[in-house]
Amino acid sequence: MSDLVIGMAGSGGDGIVSAGESLISSAAYEGYYAMMTKSFGSQVRGGESSCRVRLSTERVLNPGGTLDVAVALNWEDFLRFGAELPVSGSTVVIYESKTGVAPDKIPLVGVAPLEVFAVPIGDMAKQAAGSDKAKNTVVLGLISGWFGIPRAGILRGLAKKFARKGEELVKANEKAFELGEAFAREHPLATPRTLDPPTAGQGSKMLTDGNDMCAAASVVAGCEFFGGYPITPSTEIMQFYTREIWKYGGAVIQAEDEIAGVGAALGASFAGTKSMTATSGPGMSLKTEILGLATIAEIPLVVVNVQRGGPSTGLPTKPEQSDLFQAAFSAHGDVLRPVLAPTSVGDTFAVTVAAFNIAEHFQTPVILLSDQEVAQRKEVVDLIDTSRFEIEERRRPNATELENYARFRLTEDGISPISHPGMKGGNYQGAGIEHNEQGNPTASGKIHEKMNEKRFKKLQPLKHRKDLFRVEGNPNAPLALVSWGSIAGVAEEAYGRARAEGLDVKLMVPWLVYPIAEEVFRDFFASVKSGLVVESSYQGQFYRLLRMFTDVPGCVRSFCRSGANPIQPREIVTALRAAAVDLQHNVHQVASQD
Amino acid sequence: MTTSPTLPTFQAKDFKSDLKPIWCPGCGDFGVVQAIYRALSAVGRPPHEIAFVSGIGCSSRIPGYTTAYGFNSVHGRALPIAQGIKLANPDLLVLVAGGDGDGFSIGGGHVPHAIRRNMDLTYIVMDNQIYGLTKGQLSPTSPKGLKTVTSEYGSLEEAVNPLLYVLAYGANFVAQGTPADMAGLADIIERAIRYPGFSFVNVQSPCVTFGEEEQQVKAHRANMKTLASVGHDATSRIAAMDLAQQYGRTLHTGVFYENPTPPTTMDGLVRERQQAQVGEAKPRARVLERFIQK
Repeated sequence: MSDLVIGMAGSGGDGIVSAGESLISSAAYEGYYAMMTKSFGSQVRGGESSCRVRLSTERVLNPGGTLDVAVALNWEDFLRFGAELPVSGSTVVIYESKTGVAPDKIPLVGVAPLEVFAVPIGDMAKQAAGSDKAKNTVVLGLISGWFGIPRAGILRGLAKKFARKGEELVKANEKAFELGEAFAREHPLATPRTLDPPTAGQGSKMLTDGNDMCAAASVVAGCEFFGGYPITPSTEIMQFYTREIWKYGGAVIQAEDEIAGVGAALGASFAGTKSMTATSGPGMSLKTEILGLATIAEIPLVVVNVQRGGPSTGLPTKPEQSDLFQAAFSAHGDVLRPVLAPTSVGDTFAVTVAAFNIAEHFQTPVILLSDQEVAQRKEVVDLIDTSRFEIEERRRPNATELENYARFRLTEDGISPISHPGMKGGNYQGAGIEHNEQGNPTASGKIHEKMNEKRFKKLQPLKHRKDLFRVEGNPNAPLALVSWGSIAGVAEEAYGRARAEGLDVKLMVPWLVYPIAEEVFRDFFASVKSGLVVESSYQGQFYRLLRMFTDVPGCVRSFCRSGANPIQPREIVTALRAAAVDLQHNVHQVASQD
Repeated sequence: MTTSPTLPTFQAKDFKSDLKPIWCPGCGDFGVVQAIYRALSAVGRPPHEIAFVSGIGCSSRIPGYTTAYGFNSVHGRALPIAQGIKLANPDLLVLVAGGDGDGFSIGGGHVPHAIRRNMDLTYIVMDNQIYGLTKGQLSPTSPKGLKTVTSEYGSLEEAVNPLLYVLAYGANFVAQGTPADMAGLADIIERAIRYPGFSFVNVQSPCVTFGEEEQQVKAHRANMKTLASVGHDATSRIAAMDLAQQYGRTLHTGVFYENPTPPTTMDGLVRERQQAQVGEAKPRARVLERFIQK
């Protein structure tokens, strides 16, 4: 077995998330690929919590569909997560026997699980450690015993985790683990399932989440200033800065509000420092005016929006892809602002570096449109060779250009050398007011038209950046699958399965989601007769954006639903199959008409 | 770095740009910009080492009339932008300016935070008790009862008292001036710039077009009282707050409060932290190493 999806739920104090973290870090250590998502009730402390861990010998594209293993420390808590922890006829269910529900009474979507084990998890923990706090360690022992997850990595992780708390606790947890293992040995699975050994060696993988990856990538990209305000689910980026950035001579400011956060970031960039802010939907709404200022004053700035469910406060802890229109259009005046979307923790690195390079090169604000899923899930990813990435700096005026310097000089490519305070001869006035080439205020319609043209024209080359799009499959395929952001990992898995079934489908995943690259999509859609644009929003915002700027073939339809309603690969495959049948049917109809 | 004898000296005209102000003839802001030229020449930093940030309003056009790096930003956000500039490059001399609406209405939420961070920058508010650029509406410092185009029967709201606000927020340098006393105003601004930390200067800058008769330069000249003449002790915050209560009734000019032992500045603390931690810096690419499970 190359892939295992484990879902666990319990009450806040049960340490279920901590068990998931132990699993994924040992997987990373052993050389597996893995992904972990967490989900909580809305309580700040306590309440129900759950996690999902997917372990695999191959790259993991998404958190997986129905569970192979379901662990319930408490059925009430487990069932609160509903569709997030789906159990099917192929699931092995493990539960704390004390929760007192007879296996046949477990209301699990009307499906009888493959096997069900009632385990006295609490009692075993007490026996091993004298307290039921070690319940999660017993669970690790059970899972390791039944599914062949290497014990060495887990034990090593536990030893590290409890080292600070004393040898006694390390021993107690080892014992709890072993009791779990022994239980598994004594009650073998009727249908044994063992995870294959990892294909890569130890130390060959990294483990992190999207927010930390984004922050680390920004440091590599040369960012030295962060201004922001705490907001779920983006705050970890600011937290990373408060720990790290001083070493690089940089600074971070937790501002009094979202506007001040982006204002400070803009000021820092005006002063010549690569700079960023991060927020989520509500904060993005507040930052909008300053983003317009960055556009007209042509100041590089990276703005991360970790999307959550909206509008307004919406679903602060759940993923959704419904801020795309906002990212593209929230501005007064004529504004063209690049929007990049990472699809995974792994590609967050490259997309973040690209965002900084684009901001610096084109002297523009760039929106890095992440989402709660990418930002807060943990992934085991391959090591990144950072030397492959070129880091761009904004174009500074040289000595000749500083003589008779004009900050907004109308150049061939629309990019004017940018000075900063401290640079002698580069003095100019940055402004939100329309300005001439020197930066002086103007109300001239003629100059306004020229400056609008400059600000639009300079970004056009972006649309030809093939590296900002991923296209897979037969270039002449009649079926297409288009997806972006975190849901693209689900679409990619569906794409693989559909191809394995013999469907002639190709895949397009854009990292640049705005401006729409008309030519890239025209080429992609040239062969396409039918297909799906898969995304997690009620309106299908990317689908609509595509239709606004390109000719999307009429049979290509939007496959979307509101956030926090996971889309499964099999649903996409089913829809693709139907599209293929329709296509066949249409072809016959056309043929019979001839 | 400002005291090196080899540095060139500057005259007021070196800070004056070629742009012609949009202000109405007789506007108080002409006097303010003159006072700033004088103060800057006295301080002696070259224009390219100065960042001058403003918001929106008549007075916020002021950076463009200087030769410094200017940033005429958006309404009410000059302070956050200025703080970003200062943290990014603490060597710069950072000036912030705007009107009473910019600073105490739309941007009012930023003032206490700028003060508690105490970065070394100078905030000059040109207070004319009216919205001039939008043609004569109530401002946060308009006196109660004032009739304007948005208060047909008289304002129903108490005026903000900028001096009392910033003193209560903990500002360590608080002063007030008027272009009716140019030499005095230039001196106040110079002292504010030289003060190591956040400094606040409220300038009673008359609006000739929409302002009240008793708020014009002529009236200022006749009625102003220097704080020196009333024997004010500028080292006492309480005494300053006591006098500041007369804002709107008596035009006091001079320094209300100057903390004789300036507290640490945030830009200074940031620099200390950077210096303390720079030894731990690795090549940036190695920032990813923390994610490797070893």
